[in-house]
Amino acid sequence: MNLSLIDPFVLAQDYPDTLTEKLRSGHATCLRFNRKGDYLASGRADGTVVIFDIETNGVARKLRGHTRQIQSLSWSRDGRYLLTSSQDWKCILWDLNDGSRVRTIRFEAPVYIAELHPYNHLLFVASLFEDQPVLVDVSSPKPIKRILPSAPFRPPPPKGEEVDPAVAAKQAAQDAKHSTCVTIFTALGNHIVAGTSKGWINIIETQTCTTIHSTRLCNGVVILLRLASNGRDLLVNSSDRVIRTILMPDLSQLGIELEPPNIKLQVEHKFQDVVNRLSWNHVTFSSTSEFVTASTFMNPDIYVWERSHGSLVKILEGPREELGVVEWHPSRPMVVACGLETGCIYTWSIVTPQKWSALAPDFGEVEENVEYLEREDEFDIHPAEEIHQRRLDQEDEIPDVITIEPHNKSHVDEEMESFCMPVLLDISDSESEEDIVAVGPGTMRRRSPGAGRDYANAGADGDKDTAGGRNGTSRGQKGRRR
Amino acid sequence: MDRSTRSKRRRIDRSPEPRRASSNGFIQSPVESSSDELAAASDHDETERRRSSWNIQKVYAPKRPSRRSHSFSGSESSDELTMDADEYWRSRNRRSPTGVSAISEQGNDDEPTPIGGGDEDNDNDNDNAINGDMDDAEILAGQTYSDRSPTPVPPPPPPPPPKPEKLNYHHKFLLKGHLRGVSAVRFSPDASMIASGGADGAVKIWDTLSGKLIQTFEGHLAGISTISWSPDGATIASGSDDKTIRLWNVQTGLTSISIQGKAHPIPFVGHHNYVYQIAFSPKGNMLVSGSYDEAVFLWDVRSASVMRSLPAHSDPVGGIDVVWDGTLIASCATDGLIRIWDTATGQCLRTLVHEDNPPVTAVKFSPNGKFVLAWTLDDCVRLWNYVEGRCIKTYQGHVNRTHSLSGGFGVYGAPSGPPWAFAVSGSEDGAVLCWDVVSKKVLQRIDGHTGVVLGVDTCTLGEKRYMVSCGVDGTVRVYEETDEEEEGAEVAAAAAAAAVDDGEEQQPEEEGDEDRDTTPVPSETPVTQDENAGEPQDTEMGEAK
Repeated sequence: MNLSLIDPFVLAQDYPDTLTEKLRSGHATCLRFNRKGDYLASGRADGTVVIFDIETNGVARKLRGHTRQIQSLSWSRDGRYLLTSSQDWKCILWDLNDGSRVRTIRFEAPVYIAELHPYNHLLFVASLFEDQPVLVDVSSPKPIKRILPSAPFRPPPPKGEEVDPAVAAKQAAQDAKHSTCVTIFTALGNHIVAGTSKGWINIIETQTCTTIHSTRLCNGVVILLRLASNGRDLLVNSSDRVIRTILMPDLSQLGIELEPPNIKLQVEHKFQDVVNRLSWNHVTFSSTSEFVTASTFMNPDIYVWERSHGSLVKILEGPREELGVVEWHPSRPMVVACGLETGCIYTWSIVTPQKWSALAPDFGEVEENVEYLEREDEFDIHPAEEIHQRRLDQEDEIPDVITIEPHNKSHVDEEMESFCMPVLLDISDSESEEDIVAVGPGTMRRRSPGAGRDYANAGADGDKDTAGGRNGTSRGQKGRRR
Repeated sequence: MDRSTRSKRRRIDRSPEPRRASSNGFIQSPVESSSDELAAASDHDETERRRSSWNIQKVYAPKRPSRRSHSFSGSESSDELTMDADEYWRSRNRRSPTGVSAISEQGNDDEPTPIGGGDEDNDNDNDNAINGDMDDAEILAGQTYSDRSPTPVPPPPPPPPPKPEKLNYHHKFLLKGHLRGVSAVRFSPDASMIASGGADGAVKIWDTLSGKLIQTFEGHLAGISTISWSPDGATIASGSDDKTIRLWNVQTGLTSISIQGKAHPIPFVGHHNYVYQIAFSPKGNMLVSGSYDEAVFLWDVRSASVMRSLPAHSDPVGGIDVVWDGTLIASCATDGLIRIWDTATGQCLRTLVHEDNPPVTAVKFSPNGKFVLAWTLDDCVRLWNYVEGRCIKTYQGHVNRTHSLSGGFGVYGAPSGPPWAFAVSGSEDGAVLCWDVVSKKVLQRIDGHTGVVLGVDTCTLGEKRYMVSCGVDGTVRVYEETDEEEEGAEVAAAAAAAAVDDGEEQQPEEEGDEDRDTTPVPSETPVTQDENAGEPQDTEMGEAK
């Protein structure tokens, strides 16, 4: 409702420029907005998941169940379910209506990234540390895990040609070295995009769990894959210090107009810092996928590139610490990132100046002086009743006070976003910002040692890890993925 | 600057044809027709582009039937359509002796969605109105068509009935229980309950259909000026002259009456003076309060702490309201200003002021959030178009010189027809007045209260529409809308019900029941808390200086 009143120049700004907020609840290690953009989930080093309300910047819910650092978060489409994966070899699907656990899924390895199917919150794909990625169906209490292939797709040899057994054996040996580091669903969820340790991108059919296409993108490890909200652009962060944007083929046309051999993953842009040879911790698209943003390794800056020309438009500065996960708000020009040292969540957005003409309606903001012209009847004196009556007679409009104009949003969105998280009145927010005090550049200590730690005692073995994470040694765990 | 060239330039190096098409489709949609004078031509373009790009989620999602979900009324009928309908209606009446009520019943059965019906209904209405008396024949024709066509054509609904000339709210319950004047009354979000708060510091919850007292919340140290339901109906917030706001957990499904409810342990402390008006945000995560200390506070409901303080006014803030989608806050004060604030940034976006500068005591957004209704101490209620900053309607006929009255919007009209809006307010002469929003005519004047009527609220519960009012005389009165035909029976039933209710309301805490019924000023009633006795008028907000 406020769009008609807001300065169009402010609305026209696409990307944030100033550090505006600092959220804190424990040591956050990963972040994810829900689709609507009113809640931000943050996973902490101690395994707690904290849901922030973006409107109030307050804690909306805390979910306790993991005992080690949270690795990834994934919201269901309607915002009711949240899938968390952790280094404690578990994934938990939470129901945010009451904060209960819908499913707890155990694996035989720490989980890198788990992502929910875009339309089915009981299906997710998880990539595991030094293990095969799995597609997990949790519609029944006992999860059904299907192993996804990591080996790149080899086109079948042309008919009549024999494959040399030696070549085949060599290929098989090479294929065995591939391990999948990251898996995400495509926009419709019919396919899974997987990035391997050898720099390959595999497209796997969800239904059959078979690879239908593979492309070699680079030499390094594929660290992160992100799909834009329109589903057509893929963002790849790899260990060769280059961020690539890829135009995805329309996979819904498979079998109609598009045949699997014709799939092409076309690199659109390569973003890199040629001078400093920076490598990138985490990357994300902007809400409209016009921009790409990345946090930098060993550097407190966040880079923002625009995609039409592929140029760097902004370096967001602010905190004096290296930033880990960076996320862009799904509809607003707002970027959040969490600091690796303190675990604080920093927010960049646009600061709008107060318009003074809004405060005093009889004042206007003019560019230059305006000549004053007296109206003919400006100082005429009329009886008060006459003025009042004249005013009343002029009120001949037909206002419609009931009808709400339909939103610009697509109907699907409105239908899906029916879930409303209940407001909890007894959120115990014991760990406020004052808990951690900076005693020097990069060094923090707790103001009251031991206080507010009881939440971490839920899992005995998680305790040590928590303490380690607070002192900044979580870098080592992060580094293992690189 | 042309839209299409712009988009081409921006996306010069990429080829996705479908995306451009879709984004253009959004931009050319007629939905966004802003009349904002701020937006100059080229800026406007840019704005449009931003807006659309923010809102488009460019996922190609599975095909779904498009549905318009957010609308109070899908059908809007033009005037000539109504004229046709009027003719049809009269002829129909002549033919069927059963009268209006029978037809409206039929209308309900045939067309279960009179509100938010959508475009199809409207089209059907149109056809039907043109065809007039051919109604039955057309239904037959429709059936014969339906045999041939693969999708059966539903029988067209009856045309919209004419706009009523008056309202027919009748007195249903007289709710007694408050020891002193009642300053605020509100229906719960699902309309099943009524909450009232008064100068005796108590919040009482009543059942809408039976008029029984469900719960009483006591804990405030001074009188209550304002109450607000949380959107889920589980919590009531009350703002009091003891400078605090308290939350109360409403326990639904209790059968025994007069259970002492418990306050939420943490009160909202921060205001330096009386809290005059509070309002929940539509999500229930924020609470907005206006106080005598001239400030407007945004509270984080979860942590009970002030999230943002708006440097609002230079006089006591009398009224607060939040628009339906939560993006705007309206506040008003006795300095005569109405300010519109952006919830997200806390900035003032507009200030509305009338030339005569009368003190503004209450403010209310229209159901669609495009207008603001404001009560001023010059016997006027004004409807403002806040985007253009103009007063577009002035409603008069009530008395409002000293007290902070409040009211709201209501809906009337036959269930099968388009809904019409009325504005309702209390009056200092003990009446409740309903005006048609467009014509400014008084649709109904309900007398009954023996003192100033401080608060009015309306609701729709099932098929019925209710109104509730409260006043300085310490009573809460519930009214039900009745059809003219059933008037006699309804009145009798209502009277009987009220009598029964009176009998049942003999609760232990009220002894001087009969006395209070006759005395207009509540100061003579027995008071439980001593500090209240000194200031009998403490919850009558916004008195003129």
